[in-house]
Order: sequence, then C-alpha cells, then structure tokens
Amino acid sequence: MSAMRGLLDRFMLLDLFSGLGITFRHLFKKKETVQYPEERCEPAHRFRGMFRLDEERCIKCTLCARDCPIDIIYIDWHQEMNPVTEKKEKALDRFDIDVQRCMFCGLCEEACPTNPKSIWLTSKTYELASYDRWENLYVDIDELQDWKVRPAYTDDEVR
Amino acid sequence: MLEALREAVGPTLFTYAVSPLFKILALIFLGVLPLIMYLVLAERKILGFMQVRLGPNRVGPWGILQPVADIAKLLVKEDVIPNKAVRWAFVLAPCLVVAPAFVILAVIPFGPSAEQSGGALDFFITDVNVGLLFVVAMATVGVYGIIIGGWASNSKFSLLGGLRSAAQMISYEIPQGFSLVIPLLMAGTMSLQGVVGAQFEQGRWFVFQFFPFGLIAFFIYFVAGVAESNRNPFDLPEAESELVAGFHTEYTGMRFALFFLGEYANMIVISALAVTLFLGGWLAPFPNVGWASFLDLQWIPFMTPGLAGLIWFSAKLFAFLFVYIWFRGTFPRYRFDQLMDLGWKWLIPLVLFTVFGVGIWKTLL
Repeated sequence: MSAMRGLLDRFMLLDLFSGLGITFRHLFKKKETVQYPEERCEPAHRFRGMFRLDEERCIKCTLCARDCPIDIIYIDWHQEMNPVTEKKEKALDRFDIDVQRCMFCGLCEEACPTNPKSIWLTSKTYELASYDRWENLYVDIDELQDWKVRPAYTDDEVR
Repeated sequence: MLEALREAVGPTLFTYAVSPLFKILALIFLGVLPLIMYLVLAERKILGFMQVRLGPNRVGPWGILQPVADIAKLLVKEDVIPNKAVRWAFVLAPCLVVAPAFVILAVIPFGPSAEQSGGALDFFITDVNVGLLFVVAMATVGVYGIIIGGWASNSKFSLLGGLRSAAQMISYEIPQGFSLVIPLLMAGTMSLQGVVGAQFEQGRWFVFQFFPFGLIAFFIYFVAGVAESNRNPFDLPEAESELVAGFHTEYTGMRFALFFLGEYANMIVISALAVTLFLGGWLAPFPNVGWASFLDLQWIPFMTPGLAGLIWFSAKLFAFLFVYIWFRGTFPRYRFDQLMDLGWKWLIPLVLFTVFGVGIWKTLL
C-alpha cells in the first residue's frame, strides 16, 4: 500500500499539492502580528521587568544595596522622631537605582526581609529604551513608586 | 477622438505608427509597470498572509503606497559599479533582462481584434504570424542578461549564479519549447491571435484538448516557465542562502531594480503566454452553456466585447500570478542536481511522449 502511495506521490505530486493546500489554508488564518506601538503583548504573570518600591513597607535595612552585585542601589537615611508613636524611626533621604548597568538578576528582591517584599521586579514594565543614558535609566524614589508608568491594560489592548 | 486622429495623419500612418505607439505607451505605463509595482506589494502581502503575519501595512492604508516608497528608495540609492567589473557588460546586463520581456508583450493578444469585437481598436499591439517563434527567441535573450551580469560583476557569487542560470536555461528551454509545440499542433498556426481563435473555433481551451495531452503540456510549460523566470522553487541563480543574491549580488539601486523589473515582467509574460496558449486567452469560459451566458459580462453598463475580453484575460493572468506567489510561499528551493534530474529525466521524456501522442492523435483521428 505504501509502495502504491509512493508511486502515486512520484507521478501525481501529491505531497506538493498537500503543501500548497497548507499554505492556502494559512492565507485565511487570523494573523498573529502584534502592531507594537498601537498594541502590546501583556507580559506573563511573573515577568521580571522594571523595579518598583513601596516606601511604607521598606524598613531601610539596606540589605538590597548590600546584596546588589554591581552596587547600583544607593540608599541614604536618617533617624527621625515619629510624632504619632513618639519613637525614633529611619526615614529615607534617597533611594536611587542606576538602571543603566542593572542586569535584572533579582538578588535585591530576594534579599528584602519584609513580607510582602518592599522592592520587587514583577512590574510588567519592559519599555526601558531611552535616547539619553541619564534620562530614564537613573530612577529615584518618586519614579520607583510611580506605578502608573504603564497604564492598566484594557481588554481590547491585550490580544 | 480616435477618428479625428485617423483623419489627421491618414489611415496608413495611423494603423502602422500612431496607433501602435499609443498602445505601447498605454501598455507599458498604464498596464505593465503599475502591475509590476503592485505585484511586488501583492507578493509581500500574500507571502505575509501565508506566514500568518500582516505584510507591509505602514505606508498608506493597507500599505498601498509601499511600491511608491520602494521606487523612491531605489531611485535615490547610490549606483555602485565595482572597480574590477567589466563596465560595459555590467551596464548592459540589466537592460538585456528587461527589454526582451517587454518586447514579448508586443505580440500577446490581451483582447479581441477589431473585427472580432466590432470595436474600433485591436486589443494587441501587433499580430505576427510567427508570434510563437518570436516569443521563444526573445525569451532566450533574457537569460543572456543574467549570464553577462553574473560574469561582468567579477564576483564569485555572481559568476556562480550566472552559470547556474545558463545550465538551467539549457535544461528547461527544451521542455518549454516542446510544450509550446503542442498548442501549435492543435491550432495549426503560430500567430498567438490565431491560437486563441482556434480555441474559439474548436470550442475548447487547449488544456482540455486531446485529454490528457493538453493538460500534461500545460503542466510542463508552467513548470519550465517557473524555471525560466528564475522563481521559486527554481530560483537557483539567485539562491539567497547559498549565493548571497546570485547574479545580482553586485548590483545596487536602479540597476538592481531593472533586474527585479525583468524578473516580474518575465513572470507576467510567461503567465500571459500560458493564458493565451492553454487557457483560451481573452475568451470567456463556457461560451456555449446557456445559463452561463452572463459570463460574457455584457450586462455591465458600458461594456463592449473588447473590454470583456480584456477583463477575462486579466482575471486569468492574475490567477497565474497568484499561483507564482503561492509556489514561492510553499516550496523550498531545489538542489542543483535535483533540478537537472527533473529537467532531463522527467520533463523532457514526458514532453516528447506528449508531442508524439498529440501527433499520432492528430494524424490518425
């Protein structure tokens, strides 16, 4: 039977015609192209993207800065009297990350002792390109806490 | 207006100089060049669709201005002639590819003649009584352009591409020539207009004449035609993955565009010939079936028989061009020995058998 089929293939070029059929069917398929600037793919749920920081949760222990293998997290703090609890607490002066050299290893997130983490990378923001090295790639505490860099996804935007 | 012009220049001059000149200009600048421009776009679109992507869609709505952008880009590109290239041959080669392809269009009947349609104009430039010979002769010249271009570039990739083209031409010219003999035998004339007329008189397109010989001849003609126009799956002279760009590796800007133009013009010529010789040319399908009489398109306002013929010819032509693109989207390139194997061991015996069969059928019956 298979010999018969092989012979038919040889003379009637069946395999060529089935190939033509496949490409013809694909002609009418829904196209997979994502028209990037107008539409975007939503990253996977645990996608490792840009940093985010929550100052409320942060205990200013600087473990993230110590664990950073290339020392790009800069933290300055001072003691301050909390007027409500009347206790001394640490207050942040500066929490900067020089993202230019960051490799997104996530060690800072692992080192963070708070639960939930105060610094995390699952922000789903990945559009980090910029024209100037210092323009967007050196983020201070305000930018780290601005979680609306990427607006929320609408249904028709996510394909 | 036509009549006024005829009276102004006299009937002889009108028939043999003015009218062909206008038809040539119209054919090239309103017919073939826009068709080639949009064929390139259609090819990119269809290939994109077959690969489940969108194809060009940024320049104008659905990308319809893409050809304009492409041409602007090609025109302003630097024209590089390599130092060690043979200058005159390098310059000559692209012209040798384009010119014959356009010349062939002169004898192809795009529609009925004036007597057949009862209109004022012949829908072809000229009707040569050795039309088919003329076509074969001209089609062969085109390959010289590729060989000369490959040799003159003085680059190993170009030379290999050109030589491959030469070998391919020798192998595929033979089955193509023989498969052209078959409609010739069926029609009994070499004039292309006459071939279409014979199909009208015999009431049957030549693909279905002398079944299955017509079909086999058509198949062989088309396979050899794809090989002659260096298209997938026979694009060995170009062979992007092996020879960079084959014979046009060293060409840039407008000279490259001429090669490109030649390739697409060849596609159109081979499709037009296939339509004329095997698929009834400008004839509408099913002329003698009662309920299918709407296919002569006379119910459309302002339609004349001549225009209807032109429309049917174009429809068949577009179907062929689609098949070309479809092939490109489907088949991988042949290896060189497979190409030779197919040409010499399969197509030539098959076409000889077919010519023999048609000859016997024609003599005995």
